[in-house]
Amino acid sequence: MTEEKEKNPEIVGFACSFCTFKASEMAGSLRMKYPDGIKLIQVPCSSRVDPAFVIKAILDGADGAFVAGCHPGDCHFIKGNYFTRRKIAALKEMFDAFSMKDKLRLFWVSAAEARRFVEKVTAMYGDIKEKKNAG
Amino acid sequence: MLGKMIGKVALERTLGKFLEDDSHLVLGFEEKGKEVGHRIFKNDLKGFTLVNPFFSANGALYLRRLFSKGAEIILMLRPCEIRAYHELVKLNQIEAEKIVAVSIDCAGASSLKDPGKPRTACQSCREKRGVIGDAGIRFDAKGVPWLLPYTEKGEEFTRLIEGEAEEIPPFPDKEERGTEKFSTNMEAFSEELAHCIMCRNCKAMCPVCYCIDCVFNGDEYLPKGDALLNKVFRSGSLEMPQGKELFHMIRMFHVSQVCVGCGACEEACPQGIPLTKYFKGVSERLQSMFSYMSGRSLEEEIPYLSFQEDELKDAED
Amino acid sequence: MRTGIFICHCGHNIKHTVDVKKVSRFFKDFPTVVVSEDYPFVCSEPGQDMIEEAIKKHGLDRVLIASCTPSLHGELFKDLLKKSNLNPFLLRRVGIREHCSWVGDDPGPNTEKAIKLIKAGLYASAHYVPLEEKKVDVVKSALIIGGGVSGLSAALFLSRMGMKVYLVEKADHLGGHVGALKNIWPAREDGKSAVIDPMVSELGIMENVEIFTSTTLSAFEGFFGNYQATLNTPGGVKTVVAGGVIVAVGFSPFDPRLKPELNYGRDDRIMTTLEFEERKEGLSKDPRVAILHCVGSRDEQVNKPYCSRVCCINALRAANAIKVRHPDAYVESFYMDMRAHPKGGEEFFEETQELGVLFTRSNIGEIIPSSGGLLLRGEDTLLGETFEREFDYAVLSTGMSSPEDSKLISSLLKVTLDKDKFFLEAHIKLRPFDTAVKGIFIAGTCSGPKDMEESINHGRASALKLFGFLNLGYAFVDPFISWVDPKRCSGCRMCEQACVAKAIKYDEQKRIAHVEEAACMGCGLCNATCPSSSISLKGHMDSAIDDEIGAMIEGQSLVASL
Repeated sequence: MTEEKEKNPEIVGFACSFCTFKASEMAGSLRMKYPDGIKLIQVPCSSRVDPAFVIKAILDGADGAFVAGCHPGDCHFIKGNYFTRRKIAALKEMFDAFSMKDKLRLFWVSAAEARRFVEKVTAMYGDIKEKKNAG
Repeated sequence: MLGKMIGKVALERTLGKFLEDDSHLVLGFEEKGKEVGHRIFKNDLKGFTLVNPFFSANGALYLRRLFSKGAEIILMLRPCEIRAYHELVKLNQIEAEKIVAVSIDCAGASSLKDPGKPRTACQSCREKRGVIGDAGIRFDAKGVPWLLPYTEKGEEFTRLIEGEAEEIPPFPDKEERGTEKFSTNMEAFSEELAHCIMCRNCKAMCPVCYCIDCVFNGDEYLPKGDALLNKVFRSGSLEMPQGKELFHMIRMFHVSQVCVGCGACEEACPQGIPLTKYFKGVSERLQSMFSYMSGRSLEEEIPYLSFQEDELKDAED
Repeated sequence: MRTGIFICHCGHNIKHTVDVKKVSRFFKDFPTVVVSEDYPFVCSEPGQDMIEEAIKKHGLDRVLIASCTPSLHGELFKDLLKKSNLNPFLLRRVGIREHCSWVGDDPGPNTEKAIKLIKAGLYASAHYVPLEEKKVDVVKSALIIGGGVSGLSAALFLSRMGMKVYLVEKADHLGGHVGALKNIWPAREDGKSAVIDPMVSELGIMENVEIFTSTTLSAFEGFFGNYQATLNTPGGVKTVVAGGVIVAVGFSPFDPRLKPELNYGRDDRIMTTLEFEERKEGLSKDPRVAILHCVGSRDEQVNKPYCSRVCCINALRAANAIKVRHPDAYVESFYMDMRAHPKGGEEFFEETQELGVLFTRSNIGEIIPSSGGLLLRGEDTLLGETFEREFDYAVLSTGMSSPEDSKLISSLLKVTLDKDKFFLEAHIKLRPFDTAVKGIFIAGTCSGPKDMEESINHGRASALKLFGFLNLGYAFVDPFISWVDPKRCSGCRMCEQACVAKAIKYDEQKRIAHVEEAACMGCGLCNATCPSSSISLKGHMDSAIDDEIGAMIEGQSLVASL
């Protein structure tokens, strides 16, 4: 019997330039570690994320996707992330209807929160990896 | 509330009078032998009927991009059609100034594909009552139609009908169906889409899928020709885009807040794919998040276009 | 398409966990890639020369640089493309340092990740089109929020350089915390006459300075070069237009009441260093005085994990002053670590020790007042023993907390705060005066504890940076604005309703939307709202993002596996 190789998930993250992407830069500068399956796409604002991107990412094979932006009220574009919240919350509901709610997450990570960024993505990666390897 | 009892004769006389003007039109149902279908009546009301036992298309579809300034139009349609009309007005696809929308109590309809059998969409309809639009036609316990005005325009229309307004009777409303959350999974969805031939008829017949140029016509999601080859040349490998699921799921999200659940998509599908349960099921879930019901009123804003600062606390992970 | 890929080793920084040779080899086979090279330092002069030559030699029409994060050296590489007669928006940066080599240890997966990230950049850049930078006028005036020592030094610098300055202070006088100090170190003078008065009087005679005291900021809008700030002045609401802003709102002293075990505020023998300075009545004869360092600093319990930098010197000043006035006093300083870091601080520490002040490395648990004195309980962290000692007075050297207005100002200006609620620098080392928002700078203690000298320098440095921006009189802004395809727009007005900047207008005649370019902020909300993507954000087109997604997950379709 051969032991099955552990499957590593691929997660695509949409990160807003002003908060989460900055936090990820800081996480890098501080040499914090997180799994290599996490890959970021830089967007000017989380509100740029068309839910269609997320749908495409998941259907094309990402094991998970996350949308991350500034905390509500802190958007550099004033109110963008409130719209993000509505759309992504709705998209999560839709994913839930297709029994794949765990594939999509929404985080608020400010530019200062490198640690929070690493914690959030690592936790998501861990959960998805567990599910993926469970069968 | 006040309304007017209207016999078929009185109603037809009023509409007939309205149609005497060349620029006046009525969009309603026409009986032709065994068939009943949509018709735009001009000058006369020949064949007009209030009730259509069949659903073939959503009447609002015919109103898309209706900006005619001159014509006055009275819509005598089902509630789901008037709701789709409302959404299109909100989306600036119909100029509603000269339109009077009258919704008629609907008992549900059957598909032309399967006459006699109630449609999925009608069985799970959220609003069959003629309580939508400028005015409504409701049937009392004896099956007598009443005209109820809901807006200024509705009042004006009601005044055209002879007789005094009187207190309306109670209408035999059916009990609300329990709203169970729709749930499925990708395997089941993919299996049902196996027969999809990507004819996009569902999109073409959807009353609220209003884009002049669908995003799926472009090369973003379903590249064709050079765009597809460019992709192949860039990556050096050939991977066909994931068409069916992508198309249906993105369309599902696009119409999620405006879908009226009429089931026109399923009606239009040559492959008999049960699209209603997905589109209606998902959109109802997504609309209820914002206490929104598509087409219920012209005033309610489409949820994706606004927000409240303090809401959706659970959305964040 | 002729793309050149340049992979930076960043010395050892990228190379040690990414097989750069393998990566550059991998892309050599791509049909659209003409050059794929790796190089020790792409940002160095020879590195740049190499790129420039490659552009010329191979007629590149796309340049992809895989190196540090895109926000570093951005302008450098853009200028390089301009110099080579290539539109700078045909440049793609891929961060394989901050987002790859530094966050993973394993060279195998890291190399794979680098390849995928670069591939994503390569696919996306295929959709890039040349864009023109937008030139906007810059108003030559600056708004300085905060009239403390850093705000004043910034105002002085800018006004001397001939820039119009609006200085806003919420108190009824200028000077901030420094103005209240009675015995500044090392001059042993009072802060007002030694530091503040000369600055204020010079500002007073400058014609290009408008000072608003007892004034707060109530609204703020606009963009770099043309910000509009609404001020609540005692004389009513006033709007000023400024090209740039310096935030110098200072700090709030830590309130020792947040540490109830110290009993501050319940007994007037327990005081802060400032209250000790201001104290009118003298101390008792041969007083026993305890000096506590780090009150509200390096203390996780009160959520102040950072060092406030000035409290050691403040504590030393207090101890020193007591010993000078009362040579027979018993003065014991309770410190965690001695951080007398300003110039001359260490010597001052020794001088104070020589005066007979005792220094005990310790953590103080509580101060218990009684009629006879103050009982101090603590732990000697060198001996590892607990102790109890009686004193007549206790002086608390309090730390700096974030300014009380930080939340308000940050939300008005849309600049970010760090975890301790101080204002966040764009980059702690390379851009310590900038915020993430162009044209808004930070000065002084509002970005973290600083001493007076640092605050003054910080103010001047921010002013100098802002001056450099303003003095040009114009600025280039990224051309990342939305554009409507008139042939595809359905005129549903969804984008118009959603647009926060109100930059989208509806053309009643043509029944389509159009974008007012000057007002567009470039967030892309309209693009994500439009179901047909008839409105798209230049530089961040759907097609580019889609292909970027595709590259990252190529070959593992969910649908195919169903």
